[in-house]
Amino acid sequence: METSLVEETFLDDNFLRQLMSVGEVDLLVGIPSHNNAKTISQTVLTIEESFQQNFVRDRVVIVNVDGGSRDGTCDLVLNTPSPKSQNSRGLSSLRTLHRITTRYAGQPSRGAAFRAILTAADLLRAKACAIILPETSNFTAAWVKSLLQPAYREDFDFVAPLYSRHKNDGLLARNLLYPMGRAVFGRRIRELNSGEFGFSGRLAGHCLNLDVWREESVRTSPEAWMAVTAISSGFRCCQSFLGPKVHSLSSGTDIVTAVRQTVGTLFWCLESQQSFWMEGTGSESVPTFGPEHELTSEPVRVNRKRIFDLFLSGAGELSGVLKSILVPETHAELQRIATDDDRKFRYKDELWVRTLCEFAASYHHAAIDRDHLIQALVPLYRGRIFSFLQEHHDSSPEDIEAHSENLCLEFERQKPYLIERWKAK
Amino acid sequence: MAASPDTLWYKDAIIYQLHVRTFCDSNGDGIGDFPGLTQKLDYLQELGVNAIWLLPFFPSPLRDDGYDISDYTAVHPSYGRLEDFKAFLAAAHDRGMRIIIELVLNHTSDQHSWFQESRSSRENPKRDWYVWSETDNRYPGVRIIFVDTEMSNWAWDPLSKSYYWHRFFNHQPDLNYDNPAVFEAMWNVMKFWLEMGVDGFRLDAVPYLVEREGTSCENLPETHAIIRELRRRVDQEYPGKMLLAEANQWPSDVCSYFGDSNEFHMAFHFPLMPRMFMSVQLEDRKPIVEILEQTPQIPDSCQWCLFLRNHDELTLEMVTDIERDYMYDEYAKDKGMRLNLGIRRRLSPMMDNDRWRIQLLNGMLMSMPGTPIIYYGDEIGMGDNVYLGDRNGVRTPMQWNGGWNAGFSGADPERLYSPLISNPVYGYQAINVESQRRSQHSLLSWTRRIIHVRKSSRVLSRGSIEFLKPSNHRVLAYVRQLGDEKILVVNNLSKSAQAVELDLRQYKGSIPIEMFGGNLFPRIGDLYYLLTLGPYQFFWFRLRRI
Repeated sequence: METSLVEETFLDDNFLRQLMSVGEVDLLVGIPSHNNAKTISQTVLTIEESFQQNFVRDRVVIVNVDGGSRDGTCDLVLNTPSPKSQNSRGLSSLRTLHRITTRYAGQPSRGAAFRAILTAADLLRAKACAIILPETSNFTAAWVKSLLQPAYREDFDFVAPLYSRHKNDGLLARNLLYPMGRAVFGRRIRELNSGEFGFSGRLAGHCLNLDVWREESVRTSPEAWMAVTAISSGFRCCQSFLGPKVHSLSSGTDIVTAVRQTVGTLFWCLESQQSFWMEGTGSESVPTFGPEHELTSEPVRVNRKRIFDLFLSGAGELSGVLKSILVPETHAELQRIATDDDRKFRYKDELWVRTLCEFAASYHHAAIDRDHLIQALVPLYRGRIFSFLQEHHDSSPEDIEAHSENLCLEFERQKPYLIERWKAK
Repeated sequence: MAASPDTLWYKDAIIYQLHVRTFCDSNGDGIGDFPGLTQKLDYLQELGVNAIWLLPFFPSPLRDDGYDISDYTAVHPSYGRLEDFKAFLAAAHDRGMRIIIELVLNHTSDQHSWFQESRSSRENPKRDWYVWSETDNRYPGVRIIFVDTEMSNWAWDPLSKSYYWHRFFNHQPDLNYDNPAVFEAMWNVMKFWLEMGVDGFRLDAVPYLVEREGTSCENLPETHAIIRELRRRVDQEYPGKMLLAEANQWPSDVCSYFGDSNEFHMAFHFPLMPRMFMSVQLEDRKPIVEILEQTPQIPDSCQWCLFLRNHDELTLEMVTDIERDYMYDEYAKDKGMRLNLGIRRRLSPMMDNDRWRIQLLNGMLMSMPGTPIIYYGDEIGMGDNVYLGDRNGVRTPMQWNGGWNAGFSGADPERLYSPLISNPVYGYQAINVESQRRSQHSLLSWTRRIIHVRKSSRVLSRGSIEFLKPSNHRVLAYVRQLGDEKILVVNNLSKSAQAVELDLRQYKGSIPIEMFGGNLFPRIGDLYYLLTLGPYQFFWFRLRRI
């Protein structure tokens, strides 16, 4: 553990000085930021509100790790005044509420930010930690408690969030990450790639000392990697319900980037953790604090026609690439459904799962450049999403949930096929 | 050595608080007395204290440890005669020590002749010396102080068939200061003792002297007027005598008792005391800095009185609910340790007998702005007995040696006014003056040393304070300054070693000289000054420009 810290020099002296001043803590909340001046103050104050409401006796720190903001984000973290004290005598919390901030060199990278946060957690011997994104506009003090409490009081190591979502929101998680992650790694964690999550100091120390921090997948999407690492390394995992999540307008990530980052990381995790997942079958639920799932009526606007058009053009343009990734039967079937009229078009569960298994295996065999491979999945994902939206235009939350469960079971059923393709020469 | 004529003597005082009953029994009746106390003055002189605050020693039924006085101008027979007190006073003055006695203005015992006359008939001339009422509905909403024992501030007197007002126990009726005769009677009491030579009064329960409908009956302007008149008369007729207020209030409220240098000379800083304990347990300077930064400036001639423990429970009235819960959970896990809104424990057991923590707290006590008070026995780390009722667990006999009755009394042990502390950790066989005198590294010797160092400079007793706020919140640092003289104090509140970088650039060129050993530290330059401190360690540096 110590060796990796000593060898690395990314911890600058100023950050180290701040850590020394904070000393040992019980709870740490990390905020990765980059030009979040509009929301960062409220984020900091909400975290402190939670500290004062829920962890009044505990030693706490907020660690902001910034990717080179030019809008004064770091200054706001340090200098946003706390609200007037709680009582007429002008006395506030029992303890000093610490805020520290540091910048990492290079391009903005979630992985670099996480690494600094984990380092702080490790050096400060934090018992429980949480990551909060400043982009989330409806973040509340209760979230902090929900993410920290299971790790702090219940001895869990990884606390995945659960959100209340509209049926058209979180489609990547519902159609790909959750069912595939569940089938492969054997744990029913719905949000494998969420920006907000909680974790123990133990898990922080473990992750920090893995030699992965230069990997592109960890740099771009460390959340999913940490979740998979927690599962595959035998740490205790749970889920905690947070309520609805609303993204701020500035936080939108385009679909290509989202697929490249999250699916790329998932496939990389399959690669790096193959000794773990090859053996298991089926899946286990994990303890959940609060409701297991909830769909909201808050609509999410989706341009279906554009999604379908992009599927058709992508599948056509990339036909040659897809041919080198998919087995002939799968490729042929895809070509066939691409000729369907949009009203009849369906990308069924069985075919979708088979497609993903073959993509994952091709990623493993490095049949083509891995980044190109992931990009080739994007139009197919669009086709799947279009199919999902068509099929569930009028579905009730119960129907959606039943369908999600069927998709998960289809993934679990086809896991042997994934292994077969994985092992194929 | 006569006491110094300096009228601000109380600023430089190191006050030792004791009850005559607890200190030394000269006649073998199991109760401490003035001749016994007089015998022990050399010990107190050797310790370095230069003022003694005596708890009530007047005739009393002793239902509230003497705060229920039945005669203000005599000595309780158990403690000796008036002549014994006079002899003690002269001996103390010979050693340069001032004597501060109690004056319970607010109430008397129900056994006091004044009350007996007052209750005897509605026509009695002293009827109006107390606060009587036909109903118990007057002054609604006024808080009850002894919440564990009293249901109301009114008590029914079956003799005169009416209610009388009492802010404390129901056997302590409040005097009626709306009657000028009461004021004059109390002034006569003060004159009685001042003529004899006492140097000051600790005025008990000051905020409650006057009652008015529709108010909290605390800190009323009429109460301040009474204090101002007492002060005027003291200054005029007995210059150099001191008045100390017991007003368990928030700093902004207590400050009004200093007036414009025309009410009290000194007042206890009640809110600071629990926060010193809190800070050490939290390992965080925040509670101390927060309360001291909220403490208003007081007139130059006035002074705060600081203490760690005293004869009462460690009061938690001046903390928030969250802070009180924290204090209970950390320092009074056993419910038997709690009393009213406080904790009835001594310093050493509260610190779990950790010598370093005891020293740190004493170091803060001696270096913060104010006059420190040492509660008898704390200089040797005496323990308590929470199984004795009320606050008696912190009022056990002084432990002089490991022999018969700890050297306190020659009486049969069963006859002592209170059982001795006898457990293996804090018992008199383990903790006593004689054994600690033999070791220069004992807590007693250390206490003597710190008092000596404290008295070596007036900066600590009279200087201003400026907090340094290093980023390490486990370190409490401040600079005391008087004229050109400066002392830097750095306290590590943590159980682990700490590094701290202090911004001392305004003292650039000065050399810190550690005050206990006299060693020189590196000269202060342009950079942050780095110090490392062991667990609960503290430094006092004299900053000298050489």
